[in-house]
Amino acid sequence: MGLLDSFFDWLGFGKREVNVLVVGLDNSGKSSLLNYLRPRETQTDFIAPTVGFNLEHFVCKGLSFTAFDMSGQSRYRTLWGNYYRTTNGIIFVVDSSDKTRILVAREELQQLLSHPDISSRNIPIVFFANKMDIRDALSDVGVSSALGLDGVTNKSWHICSSNALKGEGVADGIEWLSSAIKSSLDQARR
Amino acid sequence: MLSSFRKQDKKDEESSTSGNPYKNLEKASVLQEARTFNETPVNTRKCIQILTKIIYMINQPEMGEQLGQTEATETFFAMTKLFQSKDMMLRRMIYLSIKEMSTVANDVIIVTSSLTRDMTGKEDSHRGPAIRALCKITDASMMQSVERYMKQAIVDKLASVASAALTSSVHLMRHGPEVVKRWVNEVQEAVNNDNIMVQYHALGLLYQIRRSDKHAIRKLILKFSKAGLRSPFAYCFLIRTAANLINEEGEGTDSPMYDFIDSCLRHKNEMVIYEAASTIVSLKCVTPKELSSAVNVLQLFISSPKPVLRYAAVRTLNKVAIQYPAAVTACNVDLETLITDSNRSIATLAITTLLKTGNEAGVDRLMKQISSFLSEISDQFKTVVVDAIKSLCQKFPRKHTVLMTFLANMLREEGGYEYKKAIVNTIISIVEENPEAKEAGLAHLCEFIEDCEHTSLATRILHLLGREGPRTTTPAKYIRYIYNRVILENAPVRAAAVSALAKFGAASEELLPNILVLLQRTTLDQDDEVRDRATFYYQLLKHNDKPLNSAYILNSMNVSISSLERLLHRYTMESTTKPFDVRSVPVEAVPVEQPKANISIVSGVSPGGSESKKAREDTFSEQLSVIPEFAHLGPIFKSSLPVDLSESEVEYVVRCIKHVFSHYIVFQFDINNTLNDQLLEKVTVQMDGSAEGFEVVHYTPCQVIKCNDTGSTYTLVKLPDDSSAVTGALACTMKYTVKDCDPATGEPDDEEGYADEFVLEDVEVSVSDHVQKVLKPNWSASWEEIGAENELEDTYTLPIPTLEECVKKIISYMGMQPCERSDKVPDGKASHALYLAGVYRGGHDVLVRAKMALGGTSSDPGAQAITMQLTIRSTDESAVQVIASAVE
Ligand SMILES: Nc1nc2c(ncn2[C@@H]2O[C@H](COP(=O)(O)OP(=O)(O)OP(=O)(O)O)[C@@H](O)[C@H]2O)c(=O)[nH]1
Ligand SMILES: [Mg+2]
Repeated sequence: MGLLDSFFDWLGFGKREVNVLVVGLDNSGKSSLLNYLRPRETQTDFIAPTVGFNLEHFVCKGLSFTAFDMSGQSRYRTLWGNYYRTTNGIIFVVDSSDKTRILVAREELQQLLSHPDISSRNIPIVFFANKMDIRDALSDVGVSSALGLDGVTNKSWHICSSNALKGEGVADGIEWLSSAIKSSLDQARR
Repeated sequence: MLSSFRKQDKKDEESSTSGNPYKNLEKASVLQEARTFNETPVNTRKCIQILTKIIYMINQPEMGEQLGQTEATETFFAMTKLFQSKDMMLRRMIYLSIKEMSTVANDVIIVTSSLTRDMTGKEDSHRGPAIRALCKITDASMMQSVERYMKQAIVDKLASVASAALTSSVHLMRHGPEVVKRWVNEVQEAVNNDNIMVQYHALGLLYQIRRSDKHAIRKLILKFSKAGLRSPFAYCFLIRTAANLINEEGEGTDSPMYDFIDSCLRHKNEMVIYEAASTIVSLKCVTPKELSSAVNVLQLFISSPKPVLRYAAVRTLNKVAIQYPAAVTACNVDLETLITDSNRSIATLAITTLLKTGNEAGVDRLMKQISSFLSEISDQFKTVVVDAIKSLCQKFPRKHTVLMTFLANMLREEGGYEYKKAIVNTIISIVEENPEAKEAGLAHLCEFIEDCEHTSLATRILHLLGREGPRTTTPAKYIRYIYNRVILENAPVRAAAVSALAKFGAASEELLPNILVLLQRTTLDQDDEVRDRATFYYQLLKHNDKPLNSAYILNSMNVSISSLERLLHRYTMESTTKPFDVRSVPVEAVPVEQPKANISIVSGVSPGGSESKKAREDTFSEQLSVIPEFAHLGPIFKSSLPVDLSESEVEYVVRCIKHVFSHYIVFQFDINNTLNDQLLEKVTVQMDGSAEGFEVVHYTPCQVIKCNDTGSTYTLVKLPDDSSAVTGALACTMKYTVKDCDPATGEPDDEEGYADEFVLEDVEVSVSDHVQKVLKPNWSASWEEIGAENELEDTYTLPIPTLEECVKKIISYMGMQPCERSDKVPDGKASHALYLAGVYRGGHDVLVRAKMALGGTSSDPGAQAITMQLTIRSTDESAVQVIASAVE
């Protein structure tokens, strides 16, 4: 079965299945962003704060994504770690209009990067500086420096501004992530 | 021989593994396999198998392979990744696993959002199960976040979803009753659902929401009884609820609740009609009139072509016949037609019902009828037959030969333990009740133990033979049966047989030499217990000393074993040279017989009050031992039943329990403060019994009794110095400080509070408080043993019209145990002898013989009176005085 799978893969028929973890503080727009990636007819207008996690599926660049949309509320953040080991990539969403809590986001990011299941592996991370539409929101450069991304040298990462409600910037970030995951998987295969 | 056994074992093992593939699961390997959950893509088939194993393991605690918390949590999180598969079977399996693992794993709320999505999603078959799983993992802190989803689900169009939400909400009531109560509008809407199951479940939840408010429940029943529900289940539920209300509130058949149940007798659905009828017959308040309308309905069902209805009806009538045989007589003709019913269960029930209601002449015919198909019915129904025979024997004592023969035949045939036990119990009770049947009964039992595979039955019968055998006309003939057991049986039966033999030796000089020989042979038995017993009895009997025989063989010690163990243990810890005093060990009182539970109609309402008397006294001594002032009092001799000292509808409900010690009494007052705006502090009950010589030594106050709460305070009283005058009444006044408080929170306001008092009824210390009932299996041996040293004899004339009443009064005044079944006065006798036994405070045996005869006084021979000659013996002189004072 494994042989047949990779054969299909090689021919470019079957889609390779990958897992990504979507994290970030509560209210940053994680669920909204994934909602935008759903087919039009299944998108919803009402998004409740996530309790625990939710699963979403989407497809991009020949990869079939399973996204673990984690809850960002502080009491659930410790549970993210249970899903690090099996993930192929990370989507980190930041509310760029929430300047006070961006430091909390930075803390959480440091925690994540220093976790053994993450630090030991080459996992690509895409950052969304979300809610760019709100007045006085930080720019992608502003968010990048607030999070101290310059210091992240052992991971490939990318940041882009986004509006999860309208979808601006979302495709850009996801496409980057797809390519990054593909090349990291290919690397691993070789 | 040995090797063939081994082979057998192995074969057994193999065949059982092939039957159950999960039997030999190993935890470590299952956990190893569970790592598969982390793989992408998901291997559906394999994952389902692994989840099955995990669920199996969790549900087989006896396998000893229980998941630890860390292991369970790790596995649980790995399992959550399986939500990415859309496979239907796997998803259902995940729901099940979540429910099973929710109690072992941590942080199971991680699946909350995934489940709420499934319960609102498009896949209908996932929605109900997702709701059930969700509610299982929801605790009080999470109630808020699921509230919105639950409210929607309760009114969902899909019946399976609404039912799942309603039934799960009943479980949620435990964690957050307040939150669930907020859904009452949705629940009410669901009661009007067209689906009968949803309607039933909604009604159930509505009841749970309102249950603490009896008035609201009453309104609810009346409303729905008029609104016309579609669901017969809902009607049955209402009937049960109404019956509960009637029974709890002690209402009569004039209650609107009763009218409702009665109206259901005319419902169009058979299930509802049956429910109403079977409920009515088991109501406490039912009168012949109501009974007959319910029985009429059941009578119609008897002739129904549907076996289910016939079965239900005849089963209920069978129960009714126990309490109200006359009411069922009306159905006798119809019941006769069921005797030949092809469904043997129905036939059995019909016949046994007829046996209960019919007359003596019909017994033979019915018994014959039953024996024609006895081999075709299951043990359970055979037991029904046995029970019927038992009550027949009481009703028609003269029929005992027919019935006993029948029982003996049943005993000889195949059957399980429960069935055999029922037969043996019945024979034993006939033997005990009916002296004429004794020898025949014992003979049947002797035959039975020759080939009896049930150790507990054999030991019981041997015990009975030891007690009754020596008093028959030819005791010698039982010895062979008993001694055969010593040779042929397992150790517990051998031990019982040895004890039985000893009793024959103790009771009969003639048999003694033989018994001694048999016992001596047995002192070489390979089992410790058997050998010890044989040696003990052999040494005792050698002395041929009547008082010794009575004290240690014919009548056993009456001490409470658990207390004896405790006190002996304490004694071994002390460095004392004083011998251990057995009299200081509390007596094991004869258990008070609980009245048999009524036919329970409402499931889920367990008949309370099953706690044993033993447990009760142990808890008391534990409670009292923590109070330092009571430490030197020694063990409790007797704790009385609670007595009410206040009227029923007052602010404070006070009940008193008397704990009698060898020289003191501790009065325990349980005070219930029914006010919701006042709390009580420093509560004591002041007592005065100085006129009778009682002296209060100490008060242990109750520091605070909150609103609607109960607290206990104790008063320690020293018994009068004159040990022959220890009865009397003590005046009681409750003293306390009152503080006002806020009814909403129950918190007291800052003010000081004021002193107040409340007068209670007097507490009576009576003769029976100083005596524990004990049963002397051989009363006359005890009588001889104590001897006439402290005997007191007197003759009284009592203004009591019947012997029965006289017997009852004497027993209750003296608080002693009737022995030798002397509490039963045979019909039509003009004289009777009552034999009582007890232990007096301080551990002294007391025996009473009361010979009574009907007849007037010498001055007025026509008056309704009883002449009684009372003889009291005891090892203690003042005990004799006190007991005698009970009659005066
Ligand atoms: N203006 C604006 N609002 C957004 C944007 N993205 C999300 N929101 C809003 O932000 C709120 C939170 O969005 P969610 O998607 O629930 O946030 P989350 O990160 O999933 O939150 P948790 O599940 O609690 O961790 C919602 O009210 C969204 O409508 C955005 O780009 N612009
Ligand atoms: Mg979310």
